[in-house]
Amino acid sequence: MSESGIIDYAVLIPLLPMLAFPVILFLGKLFNGTPTWVKNVKEGGIIALTVMGASLILALLVIKEHMHHVGTANIFTWFESSWWNSETGAITTKVFGVGIHIDHLTVMLLFVAAFLCFLINVFSIGYMNTDPINDNRNHRFYAEFVLFCSGMLGMVLADSFLWLFIFWELMGLCSYLLIGFYYERPSASYAAKKAFLTTRVGDVFLVIGLVMLWNLFDGHLDYAYVFNQENIAAVNSGELQIALGMMFIGAVGKSAQFPLHVWLPDAMEGPTPVSALIHAATMVNAGLYLVARMFPFFSGAELGALSTLAIVIACIGGITAVMAALIAFVQMDLKKVLAYSTMSQLAYIFTGLGSALWFANNGYEELAAFAMGASLFHLFNHAMAKGMLFMASGSVIHEMHHAHHEVAHHDDDHHDDHDDHFDAQSMENMGGLASRMPITATAMFVGSMSIIGIPLIGGFWSKEGIIASAWQVALKEPIFLLPALLVLIGAGMTGFYMSRMWFMTFAGKPKTEVAEHVHEQTAWIPIPLVTLTFMTLGAIILAGMHAGHWLGDFDDGHYTNFFDGVGSEMEHVFLNHDPFLMVLTYVAIGLSLVLGPSFAMALYGGSLDKGQKAKPWMQWAINLSAKINKKSKFDNSEWANSSLAESLHKRLHFDDIYDAAVMKIVVGFANLSAIFDSKFIDGAIKAIESTSQNASRRVRALTTGSARDYIMMTALGTLVIFILLWGVA
Amino acid sequence: MNTEVFSIDFWKAFAPETILIVGLILIFIIPNLGNSKFRIPLTKIQVPWFLGGRRFKATGSPAIPGMLATATLFTAVGMMIIETINGNMDTTTVTSGGIVILQVDNFSRFFEILFLVAVLLASMASLDRIPANTFEGKKSLEEMYDNRRQADFYILMLTTAIGMCVVALAQDMFVLFVGLELASLATYVLVGFHKESKSGAESGVKYFIVGSVASGIGLYGLSLLYLEFGSLQLSTLAANWGDASALGPIALGLVLVGFGFKISAAPFHFAAPDAYSGANSPVAGVLATASKAMGMIGLIRVLLVVALPEADSDGSAIWLYTLATLSVITMTWGNIAALGSTNPKRMLAYSSVAHAGYMMAALTAVGAWKWGNVEAPGDYAEAIVAAVLFHLFVLVAFKLGAFLVLGLLEMEGGASRLSALSGLARRDPLIGTAMFIFMLALAGVPPLAGFMSKFLVIAGIVSTSVGDLWMNGTVSFSELHWVWWLALAMFINSAISVFYYLRIGVIMFLDVPEEGRRKPLPYGASIRMAIWICLVATIILGLSGDTLIDMCYRAAESLNLA
Repeated sequence: MSESGIIDYAVLIPLLPMLAFPVILFLGKLFNGTPTWVKNVKEGGIIALTVMGASLILALLVIKEHMHHVGTANIFTWFESSWWNSETGAITTKVFGVGIHIDHLTVMLLFVAAFLCFLINVFSIGYMNTDPINDNRNHRFYAEFVLFCSGMLGMVLADSFLWLFIFWELMGLCSYLLIGFYYERPSASYAAKKAFLTTRVGDVFLVIGLVMLWNLFDGHLDYAYVFNQENIAAVNSGELQIALGMMFIGAVGKSAQFPLHVWLPDAMEGPTPVSALIHAATMVNAGLYLVARMFPFFSGAELGALSTLAIVIACIGGITAVMAALIAFVQMDLKKVLAYSTMSQLAYIFTGLGSALWFANNGYEELAAFAMGASLFHLFNHAMAKGMLFMASGSVIHEMHHAHHEVAHHDDDHHDDHDDHFDAQSMENMGGLASRMPITATAMFVGSMSIIGIPLIGGFWSKEGIIASAWQVALKEPIFLLPALLVLIGAGMTGFYMSRMWFMTFAGKPKTEVAEHVHEQTAWIPIPLVTLTFMTLGAIILAGMHAGHWLGDFDDGHYTNFFDGVGSEMEHVFLNHDPFLMVLTYVAIGLSLVLGPSFAMALYGGSLDKGQKAKPWMQWAINLSAKINKKSKFDNSEWANSSLAESLHKRLHFDDIYDAAVMKIVVGFANLSAIFDSKFIDGAIKAIESTSQNASRRVRALTTGSARDYIMMTALGTLVIFILLWGVA
Repeated sequence: MNTEVFSIDFWKAFAPETILIVGLILIFIIPNLGNSKFRIPLTKIQVPWFLGGRRFKATGSPAIPGMLATATLFTAVGMMIIETINGNMDTTTVTSGGIVILQVDNFSRFFEILFLVAVLLASMASLDRIPANTFEGKKSLEEMYDNRRQADFYILMLTTAIGMCVVALAQDMFVLFVGLELASLATYVLVGFHKESKSGAESGVKYFIVGSVASGIGLYGLSLLYLEFGSLQLSTLAANWGDASALGPIALGLVLVGFGFKISAAPFHFAAPDAYSGANSPVAGVLATASKAMGMIGLIRVLLVVALPEADSDGSAIWLYTLATLSVITMTWGNIAALGSTNPKRMLAYSSVAHAGYMMAALTAVGAWKWGNVEAPGDYAEAIVAAVLFHLFVLVAFKLGAFLVLGLLEMEGGASRLSALSGLARRDPLIGTAMFIFMLALAGVPPLAGFMSKFLVIAGIVSTSVGDLWMNGTVSFSELHWVWWLALAMFINSAISVFYYLRIGVIMFLDVPEEGRRKPLPYGASIRMAIWICLVATIILGLSGDTLIDMCYRAAESLNLA
């Protein structure tokens, strides 16, 4: 079963960051404020970077080794326990320990997590350490950061659902800590609580699902047992569907899908690297990973028995995709647009996974593999692009802050109050930054194109695959028309809100004085931006290497010659032999490339200031937008004042409804249970406590302190022994 | 291998013990080296004699005995570990005049390692707890006391260790008793070592009086055994036990009292809380771990080696109900008394009473070993004995560790109230965390060593009570042997005990340090090192105790139960 090799060291990938957690924390406590710690160690940043780098290198070695075959390793056995089933008489041996499981899913997510964590760490050193508000507490940030990364890496590598869950919760804890990093702000601590409690709702269901699974599979949660096709075939698929459904609710909470999506926009209260970490590298991917892990259940269970769940997954995805995109239409906060975009794109992946699971459960193996591959490839593309977008937005916000300080100080030397209601995150204060922040603008440009699905860039390859898969299911199963239609519409909406964001931020004239003074000046920040720009552009290479196929079907997928691969992929997408799919592709391209961006350009486009010039690869878009903006007579003020826009501003009232529900139902229930708790439970416990304390006092009173009494008791004990012995003999 | 006393093989086999004795003699001699001369009678020739006179400055340093004792113990324990850990131990038997006196085997070596490790840790801690003040200048009265009695303390520590080793090695009940008394007498003095303090002197004397009564009763039992069998050889007793008259059970009961006192089983435990609270903490730690293990050797020898029923009889030992009753009383009594204790040392004392109950429950399960026509009852018995040995060993890690933390607190004042621990985690986070981990281990929280030992003991009891019934398929509870209830009692008692263990955590982490205890803890390099050793062992042995469990199994095997 176990094999030796690099996989034996795979455990170090999550272990190193985990060990770095206390080290950074303690060293921070010891050395805070000393010059070496601040300058050379970056308040722990360099330690974090070292371990994340080591993890990344190890992860790459592991990936290289296991690109083509599944690997398992038993890292550490704590103890084994056997028990016998009184009904069947069979003896079950359980091993309590830690193991590693590596397959295509692991490989992909391991790369995404390790790579992005490393880059975000580089970014953090630029972002966090140059902001005076973070002085002397960056060590806390880096410690929690590495623990978070450790949670994600551990979750991906775990070989059982139990360990998956443990690391899952570790991430939940760290997300709470990091979102509430600025805990002195009420909004941040509120957001942290909200994120924690909302995901907790999902986690409760996840636990229920896991317990059901444990029960179904005779006390096993390890992949080796539960993914065994014979074992899956042996369980009741109705119960299995419920168990998996419960687990799916956990994933819904973690990946912020409707209706547990409310925490994600608020999570923007954390520092920007944390947003990047949660939205790109780790937390939200965890839910997707969990659903993708369920794949063997669907292919192993009875034909069609789990279709309902697959449809539910896809529908949740479709609904979230459109809903989040709608809300993103009206957001003015740069990071919030990205947050809703994350939600929407994750929803795509859920739809894709739903299709894959439906195919798998209905015996269409090839189609299932294709849909699965497309979904995972989209996960990859989205993670890269969104990580970049968040870091770029962080760069914009950071430089806006700097510029604001400069401007404020320039105006008035005595004006030292930073808290003057200038919102550095609002797009209403930006504009025309394309020429002032060329690297950031380029990164945002490429990232947005990837998310929109502009042909040949990043997300295009995978998004087309997801839409095509959803429609292919819809042809066979009419209910699937709902998600299929929704994701198609969502493609156009994505085109609109992403373009809107870019044009509002980077095109047109600066809307405030601050925006005129922005420069790119902070070290460290451009490194991850440039790297990820090339990663995103390079998705065509992966597509050419049939990454989609390989991710979907580990055994049969294979690399092809790059040019052949690109050729066949192009043909597949643009000249599909199936006319339906071909039409679908062009409709999707039309929506996302033409319709959405055109509206955005018409509303928000504009040329830069005179004398300012963006880089040539962006200048054409700005020019085009200026032209369209001038020519169009499109007026959206009526729409903007409509009640729909109003409710979109209020996030479709979800938060209000939840708050009301929490206030009325939950608080009412809490009051009741508080009464029950204090009256009955506390009463019982107090009674037990006072009784036992009384008993204790009496018993201890026998220890009189007089040796005579002790000898008496010894004699008494001797008598008791005699009586007992004689009674037997 | 069979050898006579003082032959070459004897020295080879008993090298570690010899080192202990040499060390002991050196502690006698070295502080007394001086410039005295001896005049040959009727002449004027003076021969340098070196003992007495004005002491040499280098050898007269009060720090010497402690260092010497620690080094001696370290060497001896190192030799034993190297010898045992690979598993290829020779069994060496020492006979004298046809009587088997001592036997070196896996069982005895296991216990010797246990004893010496415990005493070693205690003496390491005592280097700081009873410091030798070598600095120049004016000394307080207490410091002068401490300096004067350095040698006494470590001589007693080594004597205890030697006595305990004899108990582990003994193959004759009389030799065992001699070893037991040697160790006990030394510990009585150690308990009352601080004779200028009232509680120390009182508890020492009390412990001595009650202990003497218990020893007397035990000795009377031994004499009855001798009357019955004409020998106190373990092998002879075991071979003839089946034919014993009524004197057998009577003697057994009396011997049980003697050893019951040593392991502080209820109702013979009364002196223990007094003794622990009066003694200084490292000594109390030795009493709670090594001294208890010494009593357990006695019980194992008498109950499992001598009075275990023959393999072909009906299977239940005569002492089954007795020990079961005592074990349940002991564990419940200990835990309930500990619930309300406000003195951490008394609390730990009661907790160690409870632990004695757990181990007696385990031994009871061995007594029922043949009940269900089990094919290989020896395997079950060995598993349980190994679990008990494992428990005894890991107790050294976390119970002694807890006492050492209290010892650290004693260095800045008393540690006789729970409030002395308040805010410890804030005053010294590392020590506070260590203490908390010791408490968790005592409570049996996974993945610490305490969980593993309790798990092994309960699993052993349950599997004995099931016997081979599982082969039939379905088993109902009514079919199980009643020793199953002991496992349940242990389980419930463990749940009760969590209350008082965790309370320590609450006090350490949440309470505000009391007046006069706001400064950082005293440093004490070697006591802290001893605490770290205990802490690391507590964690490591819980996570991967394979080596130790193997040692325990080998030790249990060498009892030849089957």
